[in-house]
Amino acid sequence: MTTDCLTVEQLKKGLEPLNGHGDSKLLTHLNSCVHCGLCADSCLFYLATCDPRLTPARKVDLISSVYKRYHTFTGKYLPVLSHARKLDKATADEMVDLFYGSCSICGRCTMHCSIGVDISYLVSVGRKMLANMDMVPATLQSTVNAAIETGNNMAIPTADYLDTLKWMEEEMADEVGDPEACIPVDQPGKRILYTLNPREPKFYPLSIAAMAKIFYVAGESWTLSTRMYDVTNYAFFSGNLDEATLIADRLWKEMEHLDAESLVLGECGHGTRAFRWESPNYMERGFPFPVMSSVECIANYIREGRIRLDPEKITVKVTMHDPCNLVRSGGIIREQRFILKQFVKNFVEMSPGGTDNHCCGGGGGLLSMSEYNDRRIKAGGIKAEQIRQTGAEIVVTPCHNCVDQLIQINAYYKLGVKIMTMAEIVAEAIVVK
Amino acid sequence: MDVFDSAMLLTWYEWIAPCALGVSLGALLFHITRLIRLGKPDDTAPPLGNVGPAVFYSMTGAMSPAKKESAYLHLPTYLAGIIYHLGTFLSFLLFFFLLIRLPFPSLLTLLLSAFLLVSAVCGFGILVKRVVNLELRSLSNPDDYLSNILATLFQAATILTLYLPEWRASYFILASILFLYIPLGKLKHVIYFFAARYHLGFFYGWRGVWPPGKKERKTNC
Repeated sequence: MTTDCLTVEQLKKGLEPLNGHGDSKLLTHLNSCVHCGLCADSCLFYLATCDPRLTPARKVDLISSVYKRYHTFTGKYLPVLSHARKLDKATADEMVDLFYGSCSICGRCTMHCSIGVDISYLVSVGRKMLANMDMVPATLQSTVNAAIETGNNMAIPTADYLDTLKWMEEEMADEVGDPEACIPVDQPGKRILYTLNPREPKFYPLSIAAMAKIFYVAGESWTLSTRMYDVTNYAFFSGNLDEATLIADRLWKEMEHLDAESLVLGECGHGTRAFRWESPNYMERGFPFPVMSSVECIANYIREGRIRLDPEKITVKVTMHDPCNLVRSGGIIREQRFILKQFVKNFVEMSPGGTDNHCCGGGGGLLSMSEYNDRRIKAGGIKAEQIRQTGAEIVVTPCHNCVDQLIQINAYYKLGVKIMTMAEIVAEAIVVK
Repeated sequence: MDVFDSAMLLTWYEWIAPCALGVSLGALLFHITRLIRLGKPDDTAPPLGNVGPAVFYSMTGAMSPAKKESAYLHLPTYLAGIIYHLGTFLSFLLFFFLLIRLPFPSLLTLLLSAFLLVSAVCGFGILVKRVVNLELRSLSNPDDYLSNILATLFQAATILTLYLPEWRASYFILASILFLYIPLGKLKHVIYFFAARYHLGFFYGWRGVWPPGKKERKTNC
């Protein structure tokens, strides 16, 4: 039996996230929007396309109109009053396009909303509804599947991964002038288990060598894992929290297996958010070990005097792109500035920056959804213009997902800048004793 | 004349308005109770900041027009909205005084009316914007128009009733309709606005984003 092409089972599962489980947050935000429409100017998808369909208010309206149809008096008995909508195939298709294809869950609209509606949270709930209905875009789902089936979202075979680490170990040993310098793998009882974005071993191995160099100079006791090194968790973006739990649980188990003291999450905004902030909630348990981002880790090394940075190494103008998941949704705002100001003489902020930054356009899983490539690159035009206005030659960002998007918009908009991760620029300036 | 005698002097429309207000407050109390019963988020991630100051900031500093694009990029609309909301709350206050027929000095009546006139014009302006602006119109539903029209008419009717007692019947009937509509439509944001600001403050406070500050912190590693 179907309801406008959605099966009854799909409809039931799709509506389940709106049933009001948990706290008052969902109920609050579903009932708060007043349709002032003033959020439009805070959304890069609207700014880049001028398409009124893509405004944050329309996204809120889409999910709240479905909520009202099934959960409010007027929505049930006088749906025309608030345009309350049944959840049918057309509505679900529109949700796919708006929630997956035109929102990076960057949260900028939330901060600027005249009321305070957590719009990115509602989009996440919308994605959860779609995931329950098996309507996650195939491209995003294939990334999740790769992580579940192979242990990393790029399906890198372990032998290739180990080859890359060996190669980077040689690079790093050459750089520090110590043939004994190594990249430890699967070593139990270390102080830190470090994780990577699979883009590193796949496309940007030098960033692994960069972080290894920092660990080496800091005299850190650390290790990588072969069983579970992937910091990303695209299931958090697909909305399937069962799969997100499965992925996060592997990292917890690897911490236990290797008996590491602390977990340091590699440079990945969404990976940091998905694990540090979200996984304790969808796994319903608190961390038994300290968790921190690599940015915080590097900042601590500087404060403790474990590494020193040469202010003569980077002389060109440098700017920084703040990853939304790290900054607006993760509270890491000052550490990256603290690090750069130690050695970058000519640092310039983007405008707007910090918690008010514009998303690069590649967040929310958009980089993995090729069907939205044109829209994503167009949305990235806002960031491209920001970069251009700084006049910087180097753009630093502590997120490999952002690095990918920035590299693409760098080429598309002919910015002519160099994109670097935080570890890469720090490793360039680090003083090796 | 005791309270009972005073009550007996009320006309039918002066009776239904407080009754409608009672129903409205009861329904709003239901919304509030439901929110309280569901409670605050039970976040199991270790916090990076403090929720209390962030919630305070969410209700104060973060509402400043300098902090929100929805305000500083749209100053005329923002200002009109502020005046309109103040006028609405003033009208609610005057409802009680009009109900008990409290006489006002003429100067005060003039000042109140002048402010309410500006406020009602702001409300009407916002309505016109919703009709004229294509993007806003495509976002709007009948509830948006009805809510605006009821609140604006309520303010206009308050002005008229301050000067013309023969408008009392229309005024109290309009007030009754408005009161009964508040918990059903978007006007219930009178409750949900504060809940939304609380949750926003909680989220950003827990994650160390709000309140904004310059202090550096060290994370245990």
